[in-house]
Amino acid sequence: MIETKTLLPGVTLRCCRDTRFKQGCLSIQLVRQMDTGEAAMNALLPNVLLRGTNQNPDLRAITHRLDELYGASVSSLVRRVGDYQTVGLYCGFMDDRFALGGDRVFAPMVAFLEELLLDSPTKQGGFLPDFVESEKKNLIATIESELNDKRAYALGKLLKTMCRCDTFGLPRLGEPEQVAEITPVQLYEHYQNILRVSPMEIFYVGSAESEQVTELLLPMLRRLPRTPEALAPQTGFHPCEGRDVMETMEVAQGKLCLGFTTPITNRCPEFPAMQVLNTVFGAGMTSKLFMNVREKLSLCYSIGSGYYGTKGIVTVSAGIDFDKEQTARKEIFRQLAACQRGEITMDELTAAKEAILSSLRATHDSPGSIESYYATAALSGLGMTPEAYMAAVKAVTLADVTAAANTVQYHSGYFLKGGSQ
Amino acid sequence: MKPVYYPELDETLCLGVLENGLTVAVVPRKGFTKKLAYFVTDYGSIHTEFEYEGQHYEAPAGVAHYLEHKLFDMPGGRDVSAEFAAMGAMTNAFTSYDMTAYYFSCTEHFDDCLRLLLEFVSTPYFTEESVEKERGIIDQEIGMNEDAPESVIFEQLMQAMYENHPIRVPILGTCETIREITPEVLTLCHRAFYTPGNMMLCVVGDVDPEGVADIAREVLGTEAAPRGIRRKSWPDTMDCPQSLTQREMEVAMPMFNLAFKCEPLGDGEEAIRQEMVADLAAEALFGESSELYLRLYEEGIIDSSFGGGFETLDGCAMLLCSGDSDDPEALRDAILAQAQKITAEGIPQDAFLRMKRSAFGRRVRGLDSFDATCFRVCAYHLSGFDYFRFPEVYQKIEAEEICDFLRRVVTPQRCSLSIIDPIEKEEDA
Repeated sequence: MIETKTLLPGVTLRCCRDTRFKQGCLSIQLVRQMDTGEAAMNALLPNVLLRGTNQNPDLRAITHRLDELYGASVSSLVRRVGDYQTVGLYCGFMDDRFALGGDRVFAPMVAFLEELLLDSPTKQGGFLPDFVESEKKNLIATIESELNDKRAYALGKLLKTMCRCDTFGLPRLGEPEQVAEITPVQLYEHYQNILRVSPMEIFYVGSAESEQVTELLLPMLRRLPRTPEALAPQTGFHPCEGRDVMETMEVAQGKLCLGFTTPITNRCPEFPAMQVLNTVFGAGMTSKLFMNVREKLSLCYSIGSGYYGTKGIVTVSAGIDFDKEQTARKEIFRQLAACQRGEITMDELTAAKEAILSSLRATHDSPGSIESYYATAALSGLGMTPEAYMAAVKAVTLADVTAAANTVQYHSGYFLKGGSQ
Repeated sequence: MKPVYYPELDETLCLGVLENGLTVAVVPRKGFTKKLAYFVTDYGSIHTEFEYEGQHYEAPAGVAHYLEHKLFDMPGGRDVSAEFAAMGAMTNAFTSYDMTAYYFSCTEHFDDCLRLLLEFVSTPYFTEESVEKERGIIDQEIGMNEDAPESVIFEQLMQAMYENHPIRVPILGTCETIREITPEVLTLCHRAFYTPGNMMLCVVGDVDPEGVADIAREVLGTEAAPRGIRRKSWPDTMDCPQSLTQREMEVAMPMFNLAFKCEPLGDGEEAIRQEMVADLAAEALFGESSELYLRLYEEGIIDSSFGGGFETLDGCAMLLCSGDSDDPEALRDAILAQAQKITAEGIPQDAFLRMKRSAFGRRVRGLDSFDATCFRVCAYHLSGFDYFRFPEVYQKIEAEEICDFLRRVVTPQRCSLSIIDPIEKEEDA
C-alpha cells in the first residue's frame, strides 16, 4: 500500500497510490530535534517561504499561481512529534482527471513547490527583511491568539507546568520573545543548514505512480546539498516535581486541566492497551468521564482526556463552574481509580476498542488522514501499519487495560478561574 | 431512488421522496470503508414562530438546540451513544440557525446504525426530571460560548444589524429563555418539525441506495403527517441600525467581524446562482488573491487570520469577513473604497476566469470530505437545488454580475462593524 524509497541520503519518499480521491496531497518535512533555541525559527520559516519566490515575487503572484492550479493550496506545516519538531510545506491539489481541456495540475504543482523551497529572494545573505518582519508579526499574533481559545490555552499551560525538564512543554511555535529576536540572515543561514543536515520526509497520496512522483521530484532533489545527520531516538517523559497552578482571568467558565504520566509510550508493547484505557476513561461520549462528570453530575459541558503516546502523558480537561473545582477533581480521580480497580464493563471495553478500530479502519478514506497517520507514525516510533495496530487493539483484554491504568500517576494540575487579575 | 451521474465530478446522486414525505439522498462511494449518514430537519434556532394545525405558536429561544440534546434520551434508560459505540460508530448532532442535523459515521454494521439513528430522532421522550437536568449542561455550554470571542463578536454584530430577524438571538438561547422550555414545548416542536415531510436523510458511502430507502420506510412508516409552517421572513430594511459595536474581553489583540447586508435569497437554481455570484464577489473583493488582500496584508492591517465569504439563511444574507486587526475601521474603509474601484474599472476577463477555475477546483477537492459533501447535499437540497450541478452554474456566471453585486451591497448604509478589544490592564505607573 505504502511504497517507501530513499531518494538521497536522509531523504525518504513515501507514496500511497490511490485513484479513489478527487485531490492529491504532497507534504515535505524537515525533521529537527525540538529545541528552544530554534523552535521559533522553524515555525517562522515556512511562512517566509510562502511570501514570494524569484519568479513569483509577492503574495499576489503566489496566490494567482495557485488559482491557476485550480485552487491548489500550499500551507505551512509545523508539527510536534514527541521530541521532534517538523518544518515544511503541505500541498493539496485537484486530481488531473477533473482539469478542463487536458490541463495538468500535479506536475506544475511539484515544480512550484521546488520554487517555493529553493528559489527564495535574498538580500545581503538573508531572506528579504520585509517578508521576515511581517511574518514575525503574524506569527507572534498567532501565538498570542491562543489565549482566545481558553481550552487550548489551559492545556498549553498544563504541559508547560508538567514538562519543565522535557522539551514537550515547549510551545510548538516557539515563544513570542524568541520570534521577535530572529533576523533575516540568521533565519536564512538556519534554513541552509537544516536543508543540508536534517532528515527529510516526503509524503504523497494521489493517483500518480511512485515512479512518476520520483521523476517529478528529482530536479528539486538534485539541487539539495546533503550531508545528513541522524536524529536521537524518541524518549519518554523526563520527570520533574509536580505542581498545581491556578490563574485568574475575566472569564465566565473555569478550565480545569489535570496531567498524568505513564511509562507506556507508543514504542511499548502495552501501547494499544493504554490507548484503550484512555478511551474508556475519557475519550468520547461513552467514556467514564463524559458519562459521570457531564451526564450524571451535570458538572460541565465539555470534558475529555488525551493520551500523548510519544511521551506517555495523559491529560484531562474540563470546562466547569469556578466553585466546582474540588468536586470535579475528586470525580475525575474517582473514575481513574475505578479503572485501576478493573471496574470496567464489557460494554465499555467493547465500545472503546470499537471506537479506536473504527477510526483506524477509516484511515485510508481521505488523503489527509493517510498523510497524517503515515507521515508521523515513522517519526514517532510507532512501527505499526493501521492493520497491525488494529490486530493489537483487538487482542487487548480487561487485564491489560487495568494493568495500563495502574501505571498512570497524577503529576500536575492547572486551573483557570474567573475574577480580576 | 433514481440515480443521476455527473460526469464532470465523477459523482452519482440517488434521490427519491418516500410515501411518508421523507427525502432520501444517497451518494454511493465504491471502495470506501467509511459510511456517513445525516438525518436533518429543516428547522433551526430561528424558527421559533410557526403555525401548526391551525394554531399560531411562539416558542422560547434556544428550543431547537435543547430539543437536539434531549432527543438522545430514550425510554427504558437506553443509552443511544453507547449503542452506537458498541457498533464502533460515532454519533453526534448540531443545531444551526436554520437546520438541525443528527449523524453517525461507521465502518461496519451500517444497517443497524441507520435504524438506530432514525429511531432515536423520531422517538420523543422527555421527562420533567431529564429536561430539568439538561438545563445545567446547556447553562455550561452557554457559559463556554460567552468566553468564546468568536461567538460573542458575531452575536454582537447580528444585534447591530437586525432589529427583527431572530438571528439576533444566539442559537443556544440565553440562560433566561431556556428556563421557559418544558417537556410540553419540546413535544410540540418535535411533532411540528420532525415529521418525515420536513426532513431529509442523506448517506455517503459504499451502500445500497434502495436498502437505505427500505430501512427508512421500516422505521418511520409510510404515513405522512402534517408539518409546522415556519415564519421565513422578517421586516428588516437593508440599512444597519448600528454601524459600529465594541466591547472588551480577554483576547490577545483586537478582533473584528465586518458585514454587509444582502437581500435574502429565494429558492432553487436562481438562489444558488446568486449565492455563487456572491461567493465570487467576496473573492474578488477581499479573497486571498485579491489586490486588496495583498495590500492590507503587506501593510499589516490584516494577517493570516483574515477570511470571509457569503452567508445565507431564511430571511437574511450577508457578506461577512473576520479576523484580527489593530485597525478594523481602516480595514472597513479600505473595503468600501476597493468595491468602488472594482465596480468602476470592471473585472478583467483573465482574472475572472482564474477566479472561477480556482473556486471550481476548491469545490471539487471538497468532495473528498464525506462530511462536507453530506452537509452540502442536504443544505442545497433544502434550498431546492442538486449540489452536484455546481459546475454548470459556474459556467454561466458573468463578470458583470459580480460588479452589480458589489455596487449594490458594499455601501456604508449596509455595513456594520463589530469589534472586541483586549481588556485594558492597569500599567505600572
